[in-house]
Amino acid sequence: MRILVIEDDALVADAMVRGLTQSGFAVDRVSSAEMAEAAMQRETFDLLLVDLGLPGMDGFEFVRRVRRAGSGLPVLIVTARDGLADRVNALDIGGDDYLVKPFAVPELAARCRALIRRSKAAGNPQVVVGHLHLDLPRREARVGGEPLELTPREWAVLECLALHAGQVVHKERLQQAVSSWTDDITANAVEVYVSRLRGKLGEAVSIRTVRGLGYRLDES
Amino acid sequence: MASPARGFSIRRRLLLLLSAPLALLLTAGVLIDYFSTVSPLSAAYDQVVASSIVAVAAHLDIGADGRVKSELSDQAIAVLRADNHDEIYYLVLDADDRFVAGDAGLPVAPEGRDNPSFVDAEYRDAPVRVATYRMKTASGVVLISVGETTNKRRESARNMLSYIVASDVAQLLGTLLLVWVGVRVGLRPLLALRDQIARRSARDLAALDESPVPSEVRPLTEALNRLFATVAEAANAQHRFLANAAHQLRTPLAGLQAQLELLSSDLQQHGAADPALRERVARLHTGMQRLGHTANQLLALARAEPSANPAGDFRELDLADLAKDGVAAHFDRALAAHIDLGIEAESARVSASDWLLRELLANLIDNALAYTPAGGNVTARCGIVAGGSTSRSAFLEVEDDGPGIPEEERVRVFERFYRIAGGEHEGNGLGLAIVEEIARAHGATIELTTGSGGRGTRVRVVFAARGS
Repeated sequence: MRILVIEDDALVADAMVRGLTQSGFAVDRVSSAEMAEAAMQRETFDLLLVDLGLPGMDGFEFVRRVRRAGSGLPVLIVTARDGLADRVNALDIGGDDYLVKPFAVPELAARCRALIRRSKAAGNPQVVVGHLHLDLPRREARVGGEPLELTPREWAVLECLALHAGQVVHKERLQQAVSSWTDDITANAVEVYVSRLRGKLGEAVSIRTVRGLGYRLDES
Repeated sequence: MASPARGFSIRRRLLLLLSAPLALLLTAGVLIDYFSTVSPLSAAYDQVVASSIVAVAAHLDIGADGRVKSELSDQAIAVLRADNHDEIYYLVLDADDRFVAGDAGLPVAPEGRDNPSFVDAEYRDAPVRVATYRMKTASGVVLISVGETTNKRRESARNMLSYIVASDVAQLLGTLLLVWVGVRVGLRPLLALRDQIARRSARDLAALDESPVPSEVRPLTEALNRLFATVAEAANAQHRFLANAAHQLRTPLAGLQAQLELLSSDLQQHGAADPALRERVARLHTGMQRLGHTANQLLALARAEPSANPAGDFRELDLADLAKDGVAAHFDRALAAHIDLGIEAESARVSASDWLLRELLANLIDNALAYTPAGGNVTARCGIVAGGSTSRSAFLEVEDDGPGIPEEERVRVFERFYRIAGGEHEGNGLGLAIVEEIARAHGATIELTTGSGGRGTRVRVVFAARGS
């Protein structure tokens, strides 16, 4: 999986390149948006890591141009600015996620992985989280190659969690995902399905409870 | 709308200053009208009485010996006395004051400048007005008096008075109404300006609309607008400065922090010979994290100050959404610290700055996670508290079941850089100061209490109640 890092600060860029390389990504780095556009014409990337405060064309303008060109490439925006305006702008112009400096390298890698997984899932109906493998059109789940026996409602909960692996999925959302199968499902029922899933998944992945909020599927 | 009842009101002052003298003037008017109507009236009635004297005098026969004889017939007397309202009396005395004819004992008006002269007197237990004519004859002065009870006079004076009072009071009321309407209409531009200012948010730095402002107060609005412009410019400058400072501080910090992180994992992976070197790099990394954290906190504190926060940042939002995001964002830290982080959120809408409240909540959760031992619980809550019968206040709180904050420290923990003595935590003492600054920027109050189980700490931010 190939990432293009667009960052003008050498110290930060170097750390990004090293950290992401260690996490198993192929990484190219450029120091300006103009150079990034040239690189994107020559090569194909799976993710753009864009700093907002670039010299010349800034990150906002760059992402806007990428989107205007019709590219659905996942974009992770990294910035030293805070404040709502920048955050809203970053997501409005077509950024998929947003990370404020300073950041921890493992978090950067995790966000990149999540974004790439999501974009792959859009085109490819296979979702992989650690040892868990989901075939979306066939509604089949496998753990380490072994098929899992799931009821339609358990599948709906697992599919929803796996598509947002690493993110907290609200109870209400799971309720909706399950309710489309039958009439009305209570939050308590969702809890029951999650606990059954935990039993069936074993150690392959973990479903963590965020008390009062929902659940999060993580690689073990 | 702001209450105009405080201080003095120009409208009330004008109304008072105009109506009090007007009322006095009109009262004086009533008195003048009364007296100027009653005295001609009285003269007219006197004239009628005087003309009766002529009738009596015409029927007097004065003999050559000076004896006076009345030749009034009974019919003439009946005509003389004919009156629907009053009793008419007459009396004729000869030159020696002897009774000649009429009603004996009728008082006689003393001699005056005019002839006939008049007097108000009492006769047969009723007030009478008596006219006495002094007729000079050869034998001396004959007195002819005609008296009349005063029923007619009193009646018409009363009628006159009520008419005058009624018309003057109507006039007074009409005038007061005109004054009231005039003052109201006259002050309308001023009241419009007052409302324009009262409606504004405290953070609104836009210029006041000067078009409806009267020239008397225009210097005031011009001065205000100049002030607004200066403050807005200062806020923008501070905003820009903070954005630049944030960028210039965070970028190298991010680089250093990430490099140290990688260095420490490299050392671990390649099994660096010297464990002391790994230890030193790990310390550097921790120190760099603290530096980064403090830089972030200082920037947050500076941006929470009202001067850096124009009204544009404020909008309607639901605390529940905010709390959910905040809890989700801290879930990894809670997981690493083996703390059960949860939420109990009910929808609560407030007008607020989204990112400032996120910062506030992040600091509350950060603190709770830092001071709660492994195995503990941290819960974020939001909802509505009833603050009286009509007002409902939104609240946002974080509660932990850690060691809690001693009573005597509770005020001081909101001071910048204050840290509870004896703690081994690496906090910079800015967290609660940021919370307080942000709460203040939102007109919210902070309650720091013991947790619900009698343990731990609960910090609750209560937003100003909204109208029912």
